[in-house]
Amino acid sequence: MSDEELAKDLGLVSAMTIGIGTMIGAGIFVLPGVAVNADGGAGPIVVVSFLVGGVIAMVNALSVSELGTAMPKAGGGYYYINKSLGPMFGSIAGMGDWMGLAFASAFYSIGFGQYLAVFVDLPTIPGLNAIQVGALVAGSIFIGVNYVGAKETGGVQTVIVTLLLSILAIFSVAGFFSFDYATLAGNEGGLAPGGYGAILPGTALVFVSFLGYAKIATVAEELKNPGRNLPIAIIGSVGIVTVIYAILVTTMLGVVPWPELSQDAPVAQAARVAFPESIGPITGVAGGAAAVMTVGALLATASSANASILASARINFAMGRDKIVTNWLNEIHPNYATPYRSILVTGGLIVVFIALLGQDIEILSKAASVLHLIVYALMNVGLIVFREADTPEYDPDFTVPLYPITPILGAVLSLGLVAFMDGIEIALSAAFVVAAVAWYFLYARDKTDQQGVLSEYIRSREDDLPDQVVDATDAVAPTGTGTEGPTIMVAVSNPRTESALITLAGALAEHEGGRVLATHIVTVPDQTSLETAAENRTGLDKSSEELLAAAAEDAAAFDAPIETKTILSHRGIEEVFDAAQTNDADTVVMGYGGTRFAGGRVEGSLDELTHDLPCDFLVLDGQDLELSDVLVPTAGGPSSDLSAEVARALRDTLGTDVSLLHVVDPDEREEGEAFLAEWAGGHGLSDADLRIETGDVEEAIRLLGADHSLVIVGATERGLLSRIVRGSLAFDTIEHLDTPVLLAERPSSRSLLERLFGGR
Amino acid sequence: MTRGNDTDQGLLSHVLLPVANEEDALATARALEPYHPDRVTALHVVEKGEGVPDKTPVEQSESLAADSYAAVQSVFPDADEHTAYARDIVAAIFDAADEVDASAIAYQSRGGNRLVQFLSGDLSIKLVTNASVPVIALPREGSSE
Repeated sequence: MSDEELAKDLGLVSAMTIGIGTMIGAGIFVLPGVAVNADGGAGPIVVVSFLVGGVIAMVNALSVSELGTAMPKAGGGYYYINKSLGPMFGSIAGMGDWMGLAFASAFYSIGFGQYLAVFVDLPTIPGLNAIQVGALVAGSIFIGVNYVGAKETGGVQTVIVTLLLSILAIFSVAGFFSFDYATLAGNEGGLAPGGYGAILPGTALVFVSFLGYAKIATVAEELKNPGRNLPIAIIGSVGIVTVIYAILVTTMLGVVPWPELSQDAPVAQAARVAFPESIGPITGVAGGAAAVMTVGALLATASSANASILASARINFAMGRDKIVTNWLNEIHPNYATPYRSILVTGGLIVVFIALLGQDIEILSKAASVLHLIVYALMNVGLIVFREADTPEYDPDFTVPLYPITPILGAVLSLGLVAFMDGIEIALSAAFVVAAVAWYFLYARDKTDQQGVLSEYIRSREDDLPDQVVDATDAVAPTGTGTEGPTIMVAVSNPRTESALITLAGALAEHEGGRVLATHIVTVPDQTSLETAAENRTGLDKSSEELLAAAAEDAAAFDAPIETKTILSHRGIEEVFDAAQTNDADTVVMGYGGTRFAGGRVEGSLDELTHDLPCDFLVLDGQDLELSDVLVPTAGGPSSDLSAEVARALRDTLGTDVSLLHVVDPDEREEGEAFLAEWAGGHGLSDADLRIETGDVEEAIRLLGADHSLVIVGATERGLLSRIVRGSLAFDTIEHLDTPVLLAERPSSRSLLERLFGGR
Repeated sequence: MTRGNDTDQGLLSHVLLPVANEEDALATARALEPYHPDRVTALHVVEKGEGVPDKTPVEQSESLAADSYAAVQSVFPDADEHTAYARDIVAAIFDAADEVDASAIAYQSRGGNRLVQFLSGDLSIKLVTNASVPVIALPREGSSE
């Protein structure tokens, strides 16, 4: 077995246990009493509210399953959204998921406190009621257990869930026998005293009971056979809890008239009524049953809170991996091997939420729901983006039925349900979303290097989409480059020039802290399909491999990583442009010979292409580079900035001596000297040898160049490269100089006006 | 002396070095260094839940393992790496010792008071009582207690 296999140890049952264990705590044990009595009394119709909640959860569960099988990665919802919609939405999702879990944990702790109060007389503290005190104690214990990471708690989870399901089964059987339809429907107002309009607000309140299925996705990487088990566990657990909720809530309401149902410990109350006072000689059965239910409730709420705290650490980890939050948070405890800082921060939030908002359990449950619903909505949008952008890496084992209806429905239902929440929860959640966006722009944007599929998609269609869309994408794009500096792409074409090109690229990459990407572009005749060429590439592979291996060897002299790639193409130089764009190259280094293989074909589009360089271009004419001294003729301009950068890189990495040349008219010598000194200073080359010459530029370059080992010529006019490529420019300097020449051309950013009217 | 040398060589011919994290790995490797083992295999056991989610995401566990190996290799550049995944760490250490055919297991107690040892599941006792190969308890740096 590979390491990857060994790391997967969660089977289907364990996965389902996580989902069911997280969900069941809240719905059954805490909410029924609150829900039936909400807004002046919704009544038994809340059973429908639970069912509606189950349907919304199910639609989202389908989407989560698809995303989870496509990317079985720690982090779940946050991860998918960050990947698809980019780090700004990723920040919102991460923050939403994280805070949502903290709210949910606070809610579970309060639920725990409510049942604890059945057993123990809890003291009150000024500002905190007894239940809050119990919840704080419980919350602290949950946090402590996770901090220490006692793995024994984990094993108990399966036992707890099994126990819970048995307890609830027994309860529903007992409830079935004491069920009385008159108790259910015979109260004032019948089944729907608050009208059918109470259904959706009821769903908004109880939706917290369905938060849990997505947690299975956060541990997807630990699942055995995730392609099969993940969807079954997610969809299955939603289905199972929905049915359980419907049955048990109906039972409870058929046992205890809804206006009398306890808002704190409804299951214990219902059990007391449902079970007979005595069975044969055994008395106190009802009280015992109520006690068992209470224990069940404590276990259920504890396991929910436990799972949520663990899941939040996963989200922190995923955010830290993408540098949205500092990795300080994810440091592992030396003794306990737990992400203790993340647990403590989340724990702190839980404690604050319990203390400040714990008086009203509705606020906690709804805030948790709103934040999760926002994440679900974004997740559905992300799914659509993945599908539409046709990302090759996106290959889910499970696909949602009825695409695109399912994800659209998921997004609409999720946001629609938010509308039935109260102002305070929406405001709270909105505050967190705003905080997440602010966080992204103030902190994460400079740090993260993750780009969403969406922005790549938009960028790749820059020309077809309105400028506003493209601009908006750029405006929120991450500016961080992570550890990666610029990419210097080298188009190597033959073994004679390979070494020289790699040396230049290596020096540049080392100087800029970037990487070298060596590509070998193999031109295949139009008559041969690329597939055939790929099949018959044995011979080709060998030469390509040798060439790229030599490139890697040469690059090893520099402190910069190198990657190599063979590209089959029908096109020559156009492919260089394409490859530069697809690989996000910042600079392309290629040989002069390489520019020639365009051979004048498709001249028009080539002209267009070379007028619109995707990045900096360095074209070398020459084979052997010595690089002891370089000559940089300059007259200013963006391309000579590039020449200066190259010269600086060579000087700093290889100790090359740099001479600068400025050619002026005989009567402007002084101005020329002043210009050159200033230019040198401005480009970090003040230690260079400054040469002012008069007369013909090309003649001066030719004369001086002969004494140097390389001449770096910046394209002083736009389109120099295109003219060389097309062979329309007889560039004497290159043709007649024995010294190698490096042509540098930097694209000058053209304004929109120029683009539109073709101003060149 | 000669006899002692022979035994030493046998004992230290292939030492399995279980390490938990970067710091622990460095300390353990440094403690072993003066005895010049012939061959060292660094072992990191990723603690698995086996039925429940792990304490840390797999990716994080694996980067922890990589950091630990790097720390061992800063002392023993030729040290091999071995990663095991198990809930029962001590059993995994013994399995690994069999698998790589180690001559001994060297470890350093991570210290801490009894409570911390209990909570973090200090493995010293299990390690020394059930081992199938000799277990070497390395001295803790600066410990004179």
